[in-house]
Amino acid sequence: MTRIAFGRRTALLSGVAAFAAPAVLRAQSDPIKIATLTPLTGAGGPYGPVMAKVAASVVEDVNAAGGVLGRKVQLISEDDQTNPDAGVRAARKLIDVDKVAAIMGTWASSVTTAVAPLCWESKTFLCTVSGADSITQLPHQGFLVRTQPNSTLQVARSGEFMLSLGARKIYTMIPQTPFTQTTFDLMGKLVSKAGGTHQGLVYDDKKTTYRTEVDQVLRSNPDMIFAAGYTTDTVVLLKDIYRAGYKGKIIGFGYSINQKLVDQIGQPEIVEGVYTYSPSPDEGSGAYDRVKKVTGLANPDPYTCQVYDHANLVLMAIAEAKAATGSAIKDNIRKVSQGGGKTVDNAVDGLKAIAAGQKVDYSGASGPCDFDDKGDIVDCKFRYEQIKGGKFTLVKIA
Amino acid sequence: MILLQALVNGMVSGTLLAVPAIGFTAMFAVLRFPNFSVSGIATLGAFAGYLAYSAGLQLAGALAAAFVVAGVVGLFLDRVAHLPLVKQGALPAAIASIASGLVLENVIRFGFGNDLRGFDRPIARDMHLGDIRVSPQQLETMGIALALMLAVFAALAFTRIGKAMRASADNPELAALKGIRPQRVAMIASFVGMGLVGIGGMLLGLDSSIDPLTGTRILLSIFAAAVLGGLGSPTGAVLGAWLIGIAEELSVLVVGSPYRTAVGFFAILIVLTLRPRGLLGERAY
Amino acid sequence: MLNYLLFIATMGGLYGLLALSLNLIWGGAGMVNLGLAGFFAVGAYASAIFTTAGHAPIVAGWALAVIAGGFAGLVVTLSTTRLREDYLAIVTLGFAEVVRLVAANEIWLTRGTDGISGIPGPWKSALGPDFNAVYLLIVLAVLGAVFVLVRRIDRSPYGRVLRAIREDAQVAQVAGKPVLRFKAEAFALSAAIAGLAGALYAHFTSYIAPDLFLPLITIYIFLAVAGGGTGRPAGALVGAYLLMLLLESARFFVELVPAISAVQRAALKELLIAVVLILVLRLAPGGVMPERIPTAPRPSTQGKP
Repeated sequence: MTRIAFGRRTALLSGVAAFAAPAVLRAQSDPIKIATLTPLTGAGGPYGPVMAKVAASVVEDVNAAGGVLGRKVQLISEDDQTNPDAGVRAARKLIDVDKVAAIMGTWASSVTTAVAPLCWESKTFLCTVSGADSITQLPHQGFLVRTQPNSTLQVARSGEFMLSLGARKIYTMIPQTPFTQTTFDLMGKLVSKAGGTHQGLVYDDKKTTYRTEVDQVLRSNPDMIFAAGYTTDTVVLLKDIYRAGYKGKIIGFGYSINQKLVDQIGQPEIVEGVYTYSPSPDEGSGAYDRVKKVTGLANPDPYTCQVYDHANLVLMAIAEAKAATGSAIKDNIRKVSQGGGKTVDNAVDGLKAIAAGQKVDYSGASGPCDFDDKGDIVDCKFRYEQIKGGKFTLVKIA
Repeated sequence: MILLQALVNGMVSGTLLAVPAIGFTAMFAVLRFPNFSVSGIATLGAFAGYLAYSAGLQLAGALAAAFVVAGVVGLFLDRVAHLPLVKQGALPAAIASIASGLVLENVIRFGFGNDLRGFDRPIARDMHLGDIRVSPQQLETMGIALALMLAVFAALAFTRIGKAMRASADNPELAALKGIRPQRVAMIASFVGMGLVGIGGMLLGLDSSIDPLTGTRILLSIFAAAVLGGLGSPTGAVLGAWLIGIAEELSVLVVGSPYRTAVGFFAILIVLTLRPRGLLGERAY
Repeated sequence: MLNYLLFIATMGGLYGLLALSLNLIWGGAGMVNLGLAGFFAVGAYASAIFTTAGHAPIVAGWALAVIAGGFAGLVVTLSTTRLREDYLAIVTLGFAEVVRLVAANEIWLTRGTDGISGIPGPWKSALGPDFNAVYLLIVLAVLGAVFVLVRRIDRSPYGRVLRAIREDAQVAQVAGKPVLRFKAEAFALSAAIAGLAGALYAHFTSYIAPDLFLPLITIYIFLAVAGGGTGRPAGALVGAYLLMLLLESARFFVELVPAISAVQRAALKELLIAVVLILVLRLAPGGVMPERIPTAPRPSTQGKP
């Protein structure tokens, strides 16, 4: 009993000490605090760690070049556990204890929707990569932007691309997500307008085999399968599609069918000819190359590129506003993301230009990053790639 | 025809599920609590096998590594964290085992991160037997699973230690009177049971991929298979695993894949209503 | 900082309600409910749908949550009457899974994985930044009322019958107690409390989604009750707040560890929480506030031959 009481007291003390620290040290030379809230455990676990890493690299570069407004930048990385409850608790801590100006990189739509009200109520800026249409329709008063094209845009573009490849019998295989219904509705309309047929099947993303699902799909003899899941389930799905002897075309999201998936499957013929697409900057973008270098990946996934852009945009907006608050970022982010001026692809260059009184227009690793009033990106190019011999080869950027 | 194919698919995945389900149910028979740390142990076995395989060991060597590592760690956790709680009842021990599962999951995450890993094994197109298609690798993993199951049943039936285990599962007091040391039997049950769970995790990883959540994804199915078969009955666990496997595949055709776990639970509810001890449970604890 | 503490206190109160709910049947009647998250979800969804799509007042939503939770509890116990009592655990586990699947897939009713956002909070716009403090008071008031209720039950003859059932259902049956009715009532009441907690949660955070109701929350509550002390309402409450303290302080603790990556920090945090919980179970059997079995009232001699 006594030992327990002791354990409790130390836990309490360490908690209290941590609570008290920021209050004591609030001076002018305090670091500017921003945060990532990405899934480090739970179902989103394969995505979150590299997102946190790339944001840290941006902060490192900026600090090495002298920081922002003469202050160092401090990045705090919390885990949303791919769970809205844990996400809300982490966000509360970031907002109220760390007093961060911005939270970046929320991934699951449910986490973003749960965290968003805390952000706009506390005037903290939120940058997200969640794709559900409903997110930018929240009453966020401008405190939210997302770099992921909404699902309507993504699906419309992919549908057009599939049709352009000559597909007429398309089957979508997708787990239950906020964009499942949108995908079915939109694909159905698009494909039937072009005189084709579209069918959809919802699967359970925790299953360890999809043989029966694949059988079900192949019965109707599709010439294109849209594998619209995430990496973990798509690995299993692609193997089972291959085993079933399917000879038609396959397409999937770039965040799901990526270099890690190819390495994991390990056998090039299974993924040979598979198409992927992701939101993309113009060819030869310096930002994209830098993300490749930082992550060591030949084909960094779109979420990673987007968080890279979040960190750059937030820091430049702070410099532009000369204030490190959520409201300042809200009022200034569009001044550095769009509207002409000197084109920059990283915050270090951007901060120099801003300090010199120049207007900047950021174009990042995930695209031009221009936002409309609701916080959606205005327009976005997509990079279509095809896997050949285990390597991603560019088909087109359009 | 697709129905028959779904049955075959269900048999294949059920056989893979049977290995950890036997381990789970055997531990329950002797130790008298549902050990939910199988989620973490299955992942651990998969990673141990993966490391051994990447280090150049053959499949058999990798399976042995999965068995031994899972068995040793499982035994350790039982000794340190779970069994001291059993005297307060099965539930505190079960709760502690859930926490141990979380510990293992995060130890693995700490060491390996969340990235997916896969055994570098060739994947071939399916063979066709009439209208039914089967995958050569899946036949191979199924063969391994069946061989293991046979070995376990032979050991239970014919070896001294197997008989001792059955005796002390049936009636611990009587077994103790006959000179069977319950402590030793319990340790062997922990080691072998968890070893089987570890192999189960690796067999699963051979076919799909592994990450810190590999075992967590199959925990409910293992538990369901063991309960359906009658907790404590290894034969029942096999039968339960097949039934769960088949029910899950058939559910894809009937109600759609997202409701497969629900189908599994309704199967349990029906079976337990008709046969309160599970399919083959001699006694229900 | 204040907002954070208010928030944590409110969440602790909601976990406390769930812990009271679990304690009532586990500590009280020895029934195991592995589907606590399911009843929590039923209450949350009932109130959220009723107040958003149905435009009902919040209090009506809460009332409906209590009724829906209790009704779901009745259905679950009654569907298990033919089963051995031990199997209640797996049926409740299955129930929670089914609830979550329905919430994720029946988009027409629950808006699917999108979740329901914009759930109204009481006087939220009028209160502004004071909302958190007022809501904490509401939660504490509800928590206090439920606490008094379950403690009365605990100490009443009714509670003694439940405990008798926990110790030996057959003896209780022989003693002429309608065991099934007692168990069904207790379970329904417990489920109703969990439903109420769900509704309070929904109107606090203004958003619910199927991901919220993963089994993890059930595990947490079991740990809270086991750590705090089974069989005693005060133990359940203390356990819930200790759990919340552990969950949150682990966050600050791992920040002190230098030179590890973000994912390692997250893993370390989860690891730490699980290890502390095992330690509590091992070192404080019966929880930090173990059950006190009141001495049986002495049989009075009068009136007996």
